[in-house]
Amino acid sequence: MEENTVVQESDDEQDIWSWGAGTDGQLATGILQDEHTPQLLRPLSSSLGLVTSLSCGGAHVIALSSGGRVLTWGRGTSGQLGHGEMVNCLHPKLVNAFQDSVVTHVSAGWNHSGFVLENGAVFTCGDGSFGQLGHGDYKSQNLPLRVSYFVSKRVEQVACGMRHSLVLLKGNSENRVYGFGLGKRGQLGISTEKVKSTSLPQITIGLTNLEIVNISANGDHSAALTADGSLYTWGRGFSCASDESIPRLFEAAVTVDEVALGWNHALLLTRKSKEEIMPIIEKKVLQIAAGAEHSVLVTDNGLIMTWGWGEHGQLGLGGTDDQVSPQVVSLGNTSATKHAACRVFCGSGFSFVLRNCSQTRETK
Amino acid sequence: MSYDDVEIEDMEWNEELQSFTYPCPCGDLFQITKEDLRIGEEIARCPSCSLYITVIYNMEDFQDKPNKKAEPPKPQSVAVA
Repeated sequence: MEENTVVQESDDEQDIWSWGAGTDGQLATGILQDEHTPQLLRPLSSSLGLVTSLSCGGAHVIALSSGGRVLTWGRGTSGQLGHGEMVNCLHPKLVNAFQDSVVTHVSAGWNHSGFVLENGAVFTCGDGSFGQLGHGDYKSQNLPLRVSYFVSKRVEQVACGMRHSLVLLKGNSENRVYGFGLGKRGQLGISTEKVKSTSLPQITIGLTNLEIVNISANGDHSAALTADGSLYTWGRGFSCASDESIPRLFEAAVTVDEVALGWNHALLLTRKSKEEIMPIIEKKVLQIAAGAEHSVLVTDNGLIMTWGWGEHGQLGLGGTDDQVSPQVVSLGNTSATKHAACRVFCGSGFSFVLRNCSQTRETK
Repeated sequence: MSYDDVEIEDMEWNEELQSFTYPCPCGDLFQITKEDLRIGEEIARCPSCSLYITVIYNMEDFQDKPNKKAEPPKPQSVAVA
């Protein structure tokens, strides 16, 4: 669901904050309640090093550590945590299936999960009722199971949406994007005909020979980004637009660096917004994230700003009001001597921040 | 305002909740019981928040008639080919 960029590694300290809907344990606070302000979490693990990225789903979270280990927590009732059981987990817990592997990319969907290993293998677990695990059946799995369709291929990324999944292959082959799971809204991009669902991966058409660098899925939407900043989208139409059953080029004179999909909205981070001051917020923007109905950004001076739906405190502003423009979230004081690099991640109704603090690093 | 219009075939039967469900953006589930559908209710609510969806369905499918099977059509196919 969540775009999955790796934070620059360092030996310095790291803070992890969470807020929003919390009744499935997804905030890792150890209590089953919503939080309206950012909660500073205890280190997720003492032995695994820094968390390099997070992916947040419907009500669960997958954390990737610097050593390629995986921790999961939150809702587990469909097996999406990969712990071999179907129960919620209030605290980050190591996924033992990957104890001897290096995981390089993860994705959390509504109730399913995807994991890519260094050797190019892709594993899935969780809800499989729509074929979104890609194993050729409609069963759920509570332990990560290798998607055998890709056994002779090398996978680079996986993206899990509400009821579908996308896979991006490494290398220069003609067709590198595959879809599986529910296809009713066109979110698989595998055919111009109506497709109900497929439990085996099929090639997403219309992306042939493009240098895709990133894939995203959330709700019934899908997106792919090319190296030169072109964006392709398919699936459910935004704001009453019709569904697109094959990838369609987003035609605008912008270079897109990042895309964040919600359930009814999408955010684009353009090259320009990183280099020029954005009028509304009067800052440059470094990164974006989208929950189902809320949005988060990080500015170049390390501010976190949120807007959108706020009923569960997912904006982290202390209340439950909706916001129609970006508002600054207070994460508590950072010492002025510290340089903090923040990255934001959104699940359906909750938000996470990874803040890497360094005493020595110079601010550019 | 209704968050979305969802066809009954896109909802999942949840044995534990004894309801048809659909994902709510808060992370919980919109829910509606067979009894609700039988009496013509078309709003499925989320127990955790203020949102609700409108369920698109044919009321006749949920009426108990001697000549008709009592079970509604399956909300989705889970059969393995």
